[in-house]
Amino acid sequence: MSSIAGISHTVQSPVPTVVGRSANDAGKLAEKILIRNLNFYYGDNKALKSVNVALYDRKVTAFIGPSGCGKSTLLRILNRIYSLYPHQRAEGDVLLDGANILDPGQDLNLLRARVGMVFQKPTPFPMSIYENIAFGVRLFENLGRAEIEERVQSALRRAAIWDEVKDKLHANGLSLSGGQQQRLCIARTVALKPEVILLDEPCSALDPISTAKIEELIDELKDDYTIAIVTHNMQQAARVSDYTAFMYLGELVEFDTTSKMFTTPGDRRTQDYITGRFG
Amino acid sequence: MDRYGWRRLRNTIVITLSIGATVLGLGWLVLILGSLVYEGLSGLSLAVFTEMTPPPGADGGLLNPIIGSLMLTVLAILIGTPIGMLAGTYMAEYGKAAMLTVVVRFINDILLSAPSIVVGLFVYEIMVAPMGHFSGWAGAVALALIVIPVVVRTTEDMLSLVPRELREAATALGLPRAHVVRYVSYRAARAGIITGVLLAIARISGETAPLMFTALNNQFFSTNLNAPISSLPVVIFQFALSPYADWQKLAWIGALIITFAVLALSITARALSASGKSS
Repeated sequence: MSSIAGISHTVQSPVPTVVGRSANDAGKLAEKILIRNLNFYYGDNKALKSVNVALYDRKVTAFIGPSGCGKSTLLRILNRIYSLYPHQRAEGDVLLDGANILDPGQDLNLLRARVGMVFQKPTPFPMSIYENIAFGVRLFENLGRAEIEERVQSALRRAAIWDEVKDKLHANGLSLSGGQQQRLCIARTVALKPEVILLDEPCSALDPISTAKIEELIDELKDDYTIAIVTHNMQQAARVSDYTAFMYLGELVEFDTTSKMFTTPGDRRTQDYITGRFG
Repeated sequence: MDRYGWRRLRNTIVITLSIGATVLGLGWLVLILGSLVYEGLSGLSLAVFTEMTPPPGADGGLLNPIIGSLMLTVLAILIGTPIGMLAGTYMAEYGKAAMLTVVVRFINDILLSAPSIVVGLFVYEIMVAPMGHFSGWAGAVALALIVIPVVVRTTEDMLSLVPRELREAATALGLPRAHVVRYVSYRAARAGIITGVLLAIARISGETAPLMFTALNNQFFSTNLNAPISSLPVVIFQFALSPYADWQKLAWIGALIITFAVLALSITARALSASGKSS
């Protein structure tokens, strides 16, 4: 536990324990994404206030907190999806492998291929299951038919949905159940071979069995991908994540290993939230 | 009478009135369709589709106005659909908050309800008068001006119905804006947009006023778009007002043909929009 105690911090305490430490110093922990002094605005409304946090390479980091605390907002910065909307802007540093993705020169399409995202509501495209996956791949890689087919198959296997759809790859993606649609969306993201996967409340529209499947899947995916998950469900955060960040009113209150956060949180507000006193 | 009995009585009265209003409304429709079928069907023969409009007292058919109407309609759709779709796409996908969109939407709504005779006069001024003669081109442009606002409106409406999440999901895969529109938004809105085009066809296939100022009429068979060209609505107008019984008969037949063509289009449009909803 001592090696991780160093990265524990609250907003009140200074952050340099996380900032500026190279992967080597930390031993096994490399920072895939490092967020420094991040502010975010919806028009004049400040939604994130000086957030500092790191996503470690091939670890699952959960973001918890009451509605409106800014956890989804934070996720939407990591692939710059907020840039679709003219009145939203971010200030600060978001370093992906050391390069600031908030730079105006950042190629957004390439960034989004590296940082995939799965949304709260399953969003299959109005096309066949096969095309849902192949279509994105073709855009980035010049692959032959056989290679595409292989990529589609491996993505569907990776997302634990292959057995359910292998006989109807050319059926419309919308014909699947909600849980299957969500795994199709995960497959679609995985097929692009991203480095980071962002999950924005991926189970909130699903039944318990589908939720269990997705959670199992997250556990398998973390061998290869850095994962950030926003969830309203604290049990889910406790089950799937290695690290947990608690956010409240646009601030990152506390960040630590999940086991520490759920047993001996440092901040009173974290404790109140986790024990269900508010939120 | 107790409260419940009074309520039942009121219910009966209102239902009776509603049914009466429905029967009255539908009755006229049945009467119109009935007289069309009664008057038109008896004269319907192969000759109608193979022979030209006759001089009074001779045998003949409606070949030239049928061909003329088909050419004008196809041309008007070919001109109007791309313009309408591009404008609608700009309004829904690119310039949602732009001043230009607000202005175009306002003007489009005016154009949508503009009397078609005004459109005819306008095209007369800008095409027929400078060219010095009536022409099929002028007729097609006049009809296209009626098509454009219908297609602009349905394209914008249907694209606006595409869920924001779907666009975000496509963007999150690293798709450039144009691909998102082309492969995701258009696909999701396809049934609705096609329905709009079909309704536009239905709308222009009965238009008479704009054609009288532009395409005029031609009692001979002609496919020359640089010269006056015959069309069903104008022939119906001319023949129905004539004192000759055989011309009046042909007018009935022409009206029957248009009505059933429009009916078939409307049914197709309905079926399409229904299938679009269920998929």
